Amino acid sequence: MINMIRKPQSASLAFMVAGAVWFVVGAVYGMFSAIHLVAPEFLPHVAPLVFGRERPVHVNTMLYGFVGTMLTGIGLHYVPALLKTRLWSEPLGWVTFLFWNLTVLSGPLGFAFGFTQGREYNEYVWLADVSLVIAVLCMIVNVTLTIMNRREPQLYVSIWYFVATFLWTACNYPLGNVMWHPATGAMPGLIDSIFLWFWGHNLPGLLITPLATGAAYYVIPRVAKTPLNSHTLSLLGFWLLIALYSHIGGHHVLQSPIPSWLKTISVVDSISMVLPVSIVVINLWLTARFVGGRVWSDPSARLVMAGVIWYIVTCIQGPLQSLPFLQRVTHFNNWTVGHAHIAMLGFGGYIALGAMWHTLPLVSGRPVYSQRLINLQFGLLTFGLTGFFIVLTMAGLVQGAAWYNGETVLRVLPQLIPFMVMRAALGVFILTASIIGLFNVYMTLRGAREQETLRHLEEAT
Amino acid sequence: MKMTPAFVIVGALLVFWASAFIIVGIPSLTMKETPSEIWRPFTPLEARGHRLYVENGCSYCHSQFIRVIDWGIGAERIAKAGDYVGIEPAILGSERTGPDLSQEGGEHSDDWNRAHFLNPRNTTPISLMPAWDFLSDGEIEALMAYVQGLGGKAADLRVKRQRDWKRQAVAAYAAGVDANIEWLHGQVPEVWRRMPNPYPATEAALQRGKRIYQQLCINCHSPIGDGNGPAQPHLNPPPLNFTILRRHLVENRYIGGIFYYQIMNGITGTAMPYFKKHLESEKIWDLANYLAVSFVGYTDANTDPRGIDASYESGWVNRYQPPALAPGR
Repeated sequence: MINMIRKPQSASLAFMVAGAVWFVVGAVYGMFSAIHLVAPEFLPHVAPLVFGRERPVHVNTMLYGFVGTMLTGIGLHYVPALLKTRLWSEPLGWVTFLFWNLTVLSGPLGFAFGFTQGREYNEYVWLADVSLVIAVLCMIVNVTLTIMNRREPQLYVSIWYFVATFLWTACNYPLGNVMWHPATGAMPGLIDSIFLWFWGHNLPGLLITPLATGAAYYVIPRVAKTPLNSHTLSLLGFWLLIALYSHIGGHHVLQSPIPSWLKTISVVDSISMVLPVSIVVINLWLTARFVGGRVWSDPSARLVMAGVIWYIVTCIQGPLQSLPFLQRVTHFNNWTVGHAHIAMLGFGGYIALGAMWHTLPLVSGRPVYSQRLINLQFGLLTFGLTGFFIVLTMAGLVQGAAWYNGETVLRVLPQLIPFMVMRAALGVFILTASIIGLFNVYMTLRGAREQETLRHLEEAT
Repeated sequence: MKMTPAFVIVGALLVFWASAFIIVGIPSLTMKETPSEIWRPFTPLEARGHRLYVENGCSYCHSQFIRVIDWGIGAERIAKAGDYVGIEPAILGSERTGPDLSQEGGEHSDDWNRAHFLNPRNTTPISLMPAWDFLSDGEIEALMAYVQGLGGKAADLRVKRQRDWKRQAVAAYAAGVDANIEWLHGQVPEVWRRMPNPYPATEAALQRGKRIYQQLCINCHSPIGDGNGPAQPHLNPPPLNFTILRRHLVENRYIGGIFYYQIMNGITGTAMPYFKKHLESEKIWDLANYLAVSFVGYTDANTDPRGIDASYESGWVNRYQPPALAPGR
């Protein structure tokens, strides 16, 4: 046990494996939620599986559990690797792992029985909040000291993003979760929605985005076998991200009675987000220029590159839908749900998976069990998610246009049935992709295989 | 620009806090909590219901703010900042799979709410909401108290109206089947009582009416219109048995206008909701024809008094005969 947690890269591996497990758990809860939107009487009288309780399990497990955990594991590999050193403390990495995953675990265990603060993306109860903050602080110490012990003078852009992610989260999370009110985790009155959406949008923006960007900046040049296109663009992307992103949460409550100047800032800065996003995407694409074939034919890099494409799609759609004129039709309906899925699964999830498949052999010393299964996962995810995006966007437009023209919410429900059926069917593809991923991870790491590899090596020599 | 460790760490934090100060700090310093004209504090039971609302994730499908562009339920009052004073947390919501609830208090009777929480399909056949029958009776009561308080003082007014009319409706029901119907008819304005259904009861119209009946009415009034749907055990007075109307046509002739009026406005105090926000004119008249033909065996559609036929109408002739009066009536 002691040896295991001292083994170099073991914490990184643990985070990646946990991410693969959480992906399956989150997808199962997503599947239940999707079925309940088609057949509300499915599994009746099972309190932990009513929509109001299973939806936050799905959302939080996917955000923190799958994407957040997996990307953290990848970072724990590339940070020491890029600094030509070891992680300062592997056991401290495991302490981080423990507290981080306790928080994630409090979702399925707690929400199912009503232990939630109920604020979207801020649901974890206070003790779980504390656990997450401990994890984040441990990570800051570990990474900072790793940087101090580095043998590579330059800090590569992925390092900036990884360090900054945890610095920002250490400030962001307690603030948005109003941790100084342990009982409710909320401010009294309307101002709570400003705190809520401060973290609500910084979670994708300043936790998932920098982690995923850092991972993409790590994988793409490695696979393309070229240096990164431009240091200047990296700088611009990084500083614009933090200068703009934290301002835009207000676009979630744009039509509510919050102060007008807040709405203006949130819309203007939402539109401005096109800048840092394009800069990152252009920088990565120019890095892969002329060697696109090399990147695209590598199954793991293909996932990362597809994630970058989802990123630009998400971040063109996002700023557009922050416009008040468009929000009249797109707010409060499945349009937003479609957007959330391409952001978290498309951008964050694809890059997490791709970078994980790229990093797993580097960490475990074993080649990935099956490249074809990675391709299959890519295909299933891409079909499922593209379908999801189209179906949910259509459903959202049906809802939004109908409401805007005077139909009541109730009367529009029957119109959603075909879309909800298709969405549940497409969910099967995503769930299958998550299970195939976990299987591939398991087969890569299982003990017997090490001996097989050794035997092959012996036979070869 | 050389990104040294100190520069990355200090810079990232500085920009973050400057940014956060604008978006969270300034609102905290400047936003004032001033109660709006409809605000009032929660009662202890409502506060408990609010906790249940938060803990069970009701906010994932129900928003709690009405926008200037809204038409639907509650749209009479646009949300104001002062509506949320002291509520912790006041979850505005991000999704409307169900209707906005900020003005839900008094929209429906207590009976309707109870039947709806136990199984939303009881009162709303097309609802996607989960059944909350696994909650204790006390918890359901707390949730109901919370929902009936949504809208503050404006809700109190509506709830009082519901409860006042419920007393009268229950008394009328207790007075007997026929007295009850006379009472119900008496609540419909005079001009509506002698108004025949101006829409022809064609086959197509009856099919349309049937679809609406199945989507909105069937679980109270039952597939055969006798008022014994699955919601019936929870409702007092129970849903109307339409077949009795056969002996209560106005002047042994008219029923269309009464149906229209009662569907449109509902019967406040009972579990019968109004449908005038859900259904526009033709749909209500089609439904009225469906009720009349299916459960009364007679419709007054297209009978006198009537004006010029609308241009699409194809000269449908009403062949339904009013029922023969029972001896002694």
